Amino acid sequence: MDSGIISGIVTVVFIVVFIGIVWWAYSKGNKQRFEDAGKLPFDEDNTAGKQGDKQ
Amino acid sequence: MEATTYNYKVVRQFAIMTVVWGIVGMLVGVILAAQLIWPDLTFGIEWLSYGRLRPLHTNAVIFAFGGSAMFAVSYYIVQRTCQVRLWAEKLAAFTFWGWTSVIVLAAITLPLGYTSSKEYAELEWPIDLLITVVWVSYALVFFGTIIKRKTKHIYVSNWFFGAYILVIAILHLVNSAELPVTFTKSYSAYAGVQDAMVQWWYGHNAVGFFLTTAFLGMMYYFIPKQAGRPIYSYRLSVVHFWSLNFIYMWAGPHHLQYTALPDWAQSLGMVFSLMLLAPSWGGMMNGIMTLSGAWHKLRTDPILKFMVTALSFYGMSTFEGPMMSIKTVNALSHYTEWTIGHVHSGALGWVAMITIGSMYYLIPRLFGRESMFSTKLIEWHFWLSTIGVVLYIASMWIAGVAQGLMWRAANADGTLTYSFAQVLNTMYPFYGIRLAGGALFFSGMLMMAWNVWQTTRQGRVVNDAPIPQAVQA
Repeated sequence: MDSGIISGIVTVVFIVVFIGIVWWAYSKGNKQRFEDAGKLPFDEDNTAGKQGDKQ
Repeated sequence: MEATTYNYKVVRQFAIMTVVWGIVGMLVGVILAAQLIWPDLTFGIEWLSYGRLRPLHTNAVIFAFGGSAMFAVSYYIVQRTCQVRLWAEKLAAFTFWGWTSVIVLAAITLPLGYTSSKEYAELEWPIDLLITVVWVSYALVFFGTIIKRKTKHIYVSNWFFGAYILVIAILHLVNSAELPVTFTKSYSAYAGVQDAMVQWWYGHNAVGFFLTTAFLGMMYYFIPKQAGRPIYSYRLSVVHFWSLNFIYMWAGPHHLQYTALPDWAQSLGMVFSLMLLAPSWGGMMNGIMTLSGAWHKLRTDPILKFMVTALSFYGMSTFEGPMMSIKTVNALSHYTEWTIGHVHSGALGWVAMITIGSMYYLIPRLFGRESMFSTKLIEWHFWLSTIGVVLYIASMWIAGVAQGLMWRAANADGTLTYSFAQVLNTMYPFYGIRLAGGALFFSGMLMMAWNVWQTTRQGRVVNDAPIPQAVQA
């Protein structure tokens, strides 16, 4: 197998993997899950700053 | 009994050391910039010679300043987005003292001239072993915390931190494979062009995973928090994560264009570097678009200014980088000051500014205050930094292009038009502007130190920020 064929195979594999990732990220079934994950930094109460002990 | 509070102690330690090491590392940078103009500045003392201070500067700003910042924010973010206290807290405390020891050892051994001579991996083998132990402990604490998380999902910042921790471990182990001959001297396990390739696979991924992936994790948490709205597109961040990390891994050979490296490997490095533009800009747009609908905050909030300017410099340097990897461009730019300008566009403009912005968000919260002591000083710091970076990179662009053109200029009979000393002479004004820019950036860090000191002095140490109990995914 010469390097041209290897390059071709590798290129195709990479493209398929990339399309797979995009499909996974943007598929309807995952919409809710990613929206929930995006809100994680805000799922917290902000009383933290007001409490604490003096050193 | 289950913990009801977060561990802020280790976060606080690393956050304070971020400011301290930032000042140390950048001060050494300013001294180096001055040495290039006045070579006898340090009176010929060998410990302070350019060749020994230079690795001290790079190690201090990347691993001491950047590294401490990453420990601080990753420990903070992983706790808050997983809603659990750190796993193995004694090990986390060890990572602080271990990492700080590594930095102190570097600050002693590098000026003494102990070096493995590998760029960004100069530290000798006993220190390499200590780094390995600390890093494995870091990985255990981080992934242990992820495993015991109470939230259903793993927030995207933690994906970036996970990739960074894992890849840096691999890079360090492979590139630092060395044969010790004495307690203070070792030789690389690789030879010739293989050694060069391993070195730049390491070197570029240190940029890619230490200075990019890790700091993107920082960006994906602190920009939404400071802007008060979730990331523009979480799904884009998923694609960003996988494509950026996948492509970065292969870009290293662009450091070895027109060397003994096989031609196909050089081209491969160039092509992957060009492809990097897509995920880099995808991530940058994702961060900037998070502000859509909240642009007015930029007018009044200097912390947000730091973060958004950091993203702008990230976009600029990730456009410049792929262009410089193109072989014909590289033929002009390589070994010139242009490279130094490019690095600092990324390191000062992106890494330092996103870190400074994040620290201004983080530090008051670690000390029980609503905000930093002085917002006015943050504004001043922002403008000093921005003007400083612009002076730095603009002077290095001009210097670099001039240098490249003068080096390649040839007379009709094939001899070189300019001698090396003539080219060097042309550099002086630009070295002066660079020194001024660096000094401005450094003076901003001094302001930050004073602001942090005032904030901590008036604040209360928060050791027990409560974990929200009601929230369950």
